Amino acid sequence: MLKITTTRRGFMQLGTASAAALTVGGSLAALTGCSKAPAASGYKVLREGDVRFFRAIAPVVLDQSYPGTLGEQAPERLLHSLDRLIGTLQDYAQSQLLMLLDVMQVAPLRAAMGAPWADWEKVSHADIDAFMQDWKSSSIQLKRMGYGSLCKLLTMCWYSQPETFVTTGYPGPPKKIPA
Amino acid sequence: MQNTEQRQPHVPVVAGISDPILEGISNGWNVHESTDLADGTLLEADVIIIGTGAGGGTSAEILSKAGFRVLMLEEGPLKSTNDFRMDEREAYRDLYQESAGRMSKDGAMSILQGRCVGGTTVINWTSSFRTPEPTLNYWADEFKVAGFSKDDMAPWFERMEERLNVAPWQVQPNENNSVLARGATKLGIDWHQIPRNVAGCWNLGFCGTGCPTNAKQSMLVTTIPEALNNQSQLVYSARAERLIFEGSKVAGVEITALDKDYQPSGKMLLARAPHVVMACGAINGPALLLRSGAPDPQKRIGKRTFFHPTTFCFAEFDQLIDPYYGAPQSIYSDHFQWLEVSGKAGYKLEVPPLHPGLTSVLLMGHGHKNFADMEKLPNLHAMIALLRDGFHPQSEGGSIELAGDGTPIVDYEINDYLWDGVRRSWLTMAEIQFAAGAKAVRPSHVDAPWYHSWEEAQKGINALEFRSNAFTAGSAHCMGGLAMGEDKNKCMVDSDGKYHYLDNLYVFDGSAFPTSIGANPQLSIYGMACKQANALVEKLRSAQGKA
Repeated sequence: MLKITTTRRGFMQLGTASAAALTVGGSLAALTGCSKAPAASGYKVLREGDVRFFRAIAPVVLDQSYPGTLGEQAPERLLHSLDRLIGTLQDYAQSQLLMLLDVMQVAPLRAAMGAPWADWEKVSHADIDAFMQDWKSSSIQLKRMGYGSLCKLLTMCWYSQPETFVTTGYPGPPKKIPA
Repeated sequence: MQNTEQRQPHVPVVAGISDPILEGISNGWNVHESTDLADGTLLEADVIIIGTGAGGGTSAEILSKAGFRVLMLEEGPLKSTNDFRMDEREAYRDLYQESAGRMSKDGAMSILQGRCVGGTTVINWTSSFRTPEPTLNYWADEFKVAGFSKDDMAPWFERMEERLNVAPWQVQPNENNSVLARGATKLGIDWHQIPRNVAGCWNLGFCGTGCPTNAKQSMLVTTIPEALNNQSQLVYSARAERLIFEGSKVAGVEITALDKDYQPSGKMLLARAPHVVMACGAINGPALLLRSGAPDPQKRIGKRTFFHPTTFCFAEFDQLIDPYYGAPQSIYSDHFQWLEVSGKAGYKLEVPPLHPGLTSVLLMGHGHKNFADMEKLPNLHAMIALLRDGFHPQSEGGSIELAGDGTPIVDYEINDYLWDGVRRSWLTMAEIQFAAGAKAVRPSHVDAPWYHSWEEAQKGINALEFRSNAFTAGSAHCMGGLAMGEDKNKCMVDSDGKYHYLDNLYVFDGSAFPTSIGANPQLSIYGMACKQANALVEKLRSAQGKA
């Protein structure tokens, strides 16, 4: 997950500007209260802002498989699955991920990290894709880690939904009838 | 889209299977969910076993058969046959550490590890290998491990192989495994059938989501029921929070009762016994000792933690592979494993089952590329190489640290030494895949395109950039962290598994391995635990005799 309080090893790998943005990002996000924001209604961990963020990037990460046959139910299903997974991550991984999500909430901070300035609802798919491509091949380890984590979480939660099997051609598991 | 036509699973229905755990409980087994017990409950036994995976299950059966009252503690939930619906969502949530999202500190390695009654044996892919002889020899030479020669170990492996019905898989391998056999044969690379711990296997392919037919001889359906028949007690959703020390002894175990969401419920329990066996794995075991402030003069707790960092190479075929069906692992090759024991990293070749959720993660990436890869799923094959770590000065392994709340953090770096192995393994796998008739091959690296010939792949793989987090390094094998051996400068437990600095604490599981195994580790854990638990029985009996 994204690492805000940098260890020496992490710090050495960062350009100074990005390192500053990240470190400041974590504390500013904390100051602005993101970390302490309550979970959104119906969620255990994800906050309103996180829900907006994931809703915005899901169609870009999941491409034509999304929303698929789930249609209007897709965002709800995906986000609750994500929420449950993130809720079972242990302290370190979860706190790192939440800090990454904090940074994604504050326009100047995310812009310093190469993510779009505009509100997530208003960012075009092309701009989201551009920021993800940038993170994917970045020389900064923290961006690559952030990229990997966001993609893994979303695709794992999505492609394990039975309604997506039709898009991958997976015929699905046998039907289990308990004795 | 190439897969528009609706197909049925190769076995449409699984029915008529009993649930031995539900039956045992209704027949009066002593089994409790931690939160059903009152806050502050004191649990007493002759021996406490923390963890119910390969080490804990094996030890529980042996100790309880010898007449000792055993208390099994398990952090995870109790799920059994009727719960195993071959659904990735349910399985990862209920049976895996951190919903299968466990990873190393820098996010570069994904770690699949069980967390349920039966531990990783409930979700592993059944491959059962004896500890390779070069590994045992290396332990004797480098760590002064005593009594672990090939001949010393043979009878213990035999016993556990018989107990768990381990035998080479005689059924036709599924197409995903056949690719490995076919390609290797073409290239003159030796391969063999994998011994599996199954009885009456339906060849379904869902070992990783909990066996729905009771065929897999996991701890859940073998040693744990036997231990419960022998008057043992099992408390699940019970995390060993802290060992309490009195002088040179463990006086008790403080337990956090976890709720349905696997979070602390607010209740604490306490367990007391004259002897404590830790079998809670290479991540949680060292973390428990660190949280407890266990004696550790050389600061070696959690050091030399190994994972068999595993690389992935995908291949697309014209024919259907259906890589999600059929015994997930039935063919392996050790051709590249022992070229040098302590030189460049050797690797074992196998294949993984490809269910869609996990596959999407292993493929890496996002957007159209990831989706296009996912659309190939029925025609997709993957091969894996398990790098043998811990046999070289540049492969000292990772370490276990604690987060603010005392939960473990795995610090493990894929360094240049391992990267060299990663690249070589991709080249090997790509060559085998093309030899087997693949039309395109892609190693799991975000920069790698699909290569359409072996020549193109060779050139492309050699040019791939080494960036952490840019390629899949997986692990399903957590080992080490409490190294075994008589050399106290390097080791935490002696050759009997007794903690060097405490009189009544034992470690009977994979965390005691001084290096990685160089093979899927379950049978190594069974054999070692069988030997050590029997030695403990003898020791306790002779102490009783004296008393």
